[in-house]
Amino acid sequence: MARHELISGPNFSGRSGALMALLRDGKFAAETFYIGPYSEAALSGLSSTIADEIEIYRAKPARFGRAVFLPLGFAALGRREPQTLSGGEQVLLALHCFSLSHYEAIAIDSALEQLDPVHRNAALDYLAPREEAVGNVALIDNRLPPPLAGWNCSERVADTDAFDCDPGRLVADLAPRRAPTIAVSGLHFEYGDQKSIFRAVDLTLDGGQAYRVAGPNGAGKTTLLKLLVGVLAPKAGTLTFGGEPYRPWRQGNRAIALATQNPDHQWCGATLGDDLARRRSAFARHVHPEYLSDTRMAQLAAALGVLSLDAHLYELPLAARKRLSWLWPLSGALPWAMFDEPSVGQDMQTRIQLAAAIARLATLGYGVLFVTHDDDFAARIPHRVLALGDKQVKAA
Amino acid sequence: MTPNGALAVAFVLIALSMSGPGPRGTALLLVLTLAFAIIELRGATLIALRRAAVVVLPLGVFMGLVWIGIVGRAPAEIDATGTRAAALVYVAGICGRLFFIVAVIQLVFLRFAQLTPLQFVGALALPVGVKRMLVVTLSLIETLRHAIDRAHTALIAAGTLTRSPSWRNLIHAWRLIQAVWLSAVTIVLGRMRDKWPVENTLALLDRTLAGGNPKWLLGDDRIWLPIALGAAVVILLADRIPGAS
Repeated sequence: MARHELISGPNFSGRSGALMALLRDGKFAAETFYIGPYSEAALSGLSSTIADEIEIYRAKPARFGRAVFLPLGFAALGRREPQTLSGGEQVLLALHCFSLSHYEAIAIDSALEQLDPVHRNAALDYLAPREEAVGNVALIDNRLPPPLAGWNCSERVADTDAFDCDPGRLVADLAPRRAPTIAVSGLHFEYGDQKSIFRAVDLTLDGGQAYRVAGPNGAGKTTLLKLLVGVLAPKAGTLTFGGEPYRPWRQGNRAIALATQNPDHQWCGATLGDDLARRRSAFARHVHPEYLSDTRMAQLAAALGVLSLDAHLYELPLAARKRLSWLWPLSGALPWAMFDEPSVGQDMQTRIQLAAAIARLATLGYGVLFVTHDDDFAARIPHRVLALGDKQVKAA
Repeated sequence: MTPNGALAVAFVLIALSMSGPGPRGTALLLVLTLAFAIIELRGATLIALRRAAVVVLPLGVFMGLVWIGIVGRAPAEIDATGTRAAALVYVAGICGRLFFIVAVIQLVFLRFAQLTPLQFVGALALPVGVKRMLVVTLSLIETLRHAIDRAHTALIAAGTLTRSPSWRNLIHAWRLIQAVWLSAVTIVLGRMRDKWPVENTLALLDRTLAGGNPKWLLGDDRIWLPIALGAAVVILLADRIPGAS
């Protein structure tokens, strides 16, 4: 009978360490397929195309038959670079590779939280305990409350108050402001491989309102945020900000604070102090200096569990980096705040606190866009839905 | 033609270009290379030439600025009274040779564009350890591209850079470089600390590469290799024939 281990508990209770200890003692399986929280630990990193990624994991024949998990048409995507897939699609590719491989066990650290509801349910169903199980499964998932039928659940307890976090403190003293309206007209965007993402999109985003960007994995949610911030340039269409023409890809971003899905896509310095100094310098003409003073930022960072501006960003635990990624948008420095999957990898209490902080930001008059597949998290934030699909963005 | 045959022909062509042939030899070498390109690749030849130009152009501009513009003479005559014309010949010689090498390598890759990188490396008649090194090197290039994308996203979102060309980008280019390296190191460490040891991924890669079934001297290999070797003899001797300029 296959083993199914669910390791649960709050952040910093040693769940990832316990998972690794389980994998290394050799009793769980001789070799285990591993999917980490972000792409560098989800895919092998040895392949330049999706076809090659699949080929590597098919090299050794499976010792026992296992149903193939094929949530997307990967055969048609064979020439694409794995890194061009969205975060959720990369997790699905990793699961597909596992289903073809010889591994008798799989370990997943928080990665399923990036999947849309349909794919998440399909993945959980694929991994579920049953007579013809896919093998031993070890799982960390913040959205699966124990006990879970058929799973051996081990609940861990946090034995440290390091990285104690209260996002609400960041927005507690913010003054109200009226974020200018962002209007998008005739937006068209496609990637270099001619995969059209948006076609003739018209959209009006009002300040003082939270919008949830919703759609299946690969629909273009992150792409929409990147277009608004200026990381990507549309093929056609115009943007206005407060009624004025706005071309962030040309003039630079001056209005939107973005918290990326993977926090490591966000840092522009080695230490928190470096990172903030560069933001201060870049936004000097658009943000009141008081918002960005070291004293204030140090207080806000402490509320997210990081006690020094000298903290080396890349040496912090992943969950702490993720929390710190909220600092910039929750600081209120810019009128618009955008959060890409902000709750991934966070325990229940932190998710509740973060949702409250985001809701308050919108109440104060800031504009908020957030991407999440976590319905419980979204339900805590009064919002309107921007539904992505069929190359359109429709406000519900 | 097999990847091994194409690489052998490319090796001969590049070795000939490095041997410093005279005008006749150079002309013959160019004709041979062009014939190989047009017969094996047809229209894709232009893509190879364009890519080679993109690679060499920045170096050419930089060298031209330094040797022709600032120094005003070639390195060989650095202590003497030199001319800008000699400097031009020097820069053109180096850039021309580099252009040729890059173009030949591109020709080989484009000839096998239907293969994925892993299939191409797997088809090479090399020890598995060497093939693994090639794949890991290629993966480092991918990692760097990934890191550039990450750092670009971070710095644009933070208002430091713009997507379109700007003075701001020039001034803060060093920040991009720093962010790229920090990102690259994080990505590599993330893989090496968790994913690879748990899965033994590199052993799996060896298995993939060992099953590549390399082929050697098939089809057009039998035509191009003798032609290249024969032409090599002619090219090496061409400028030693009395009366050659």
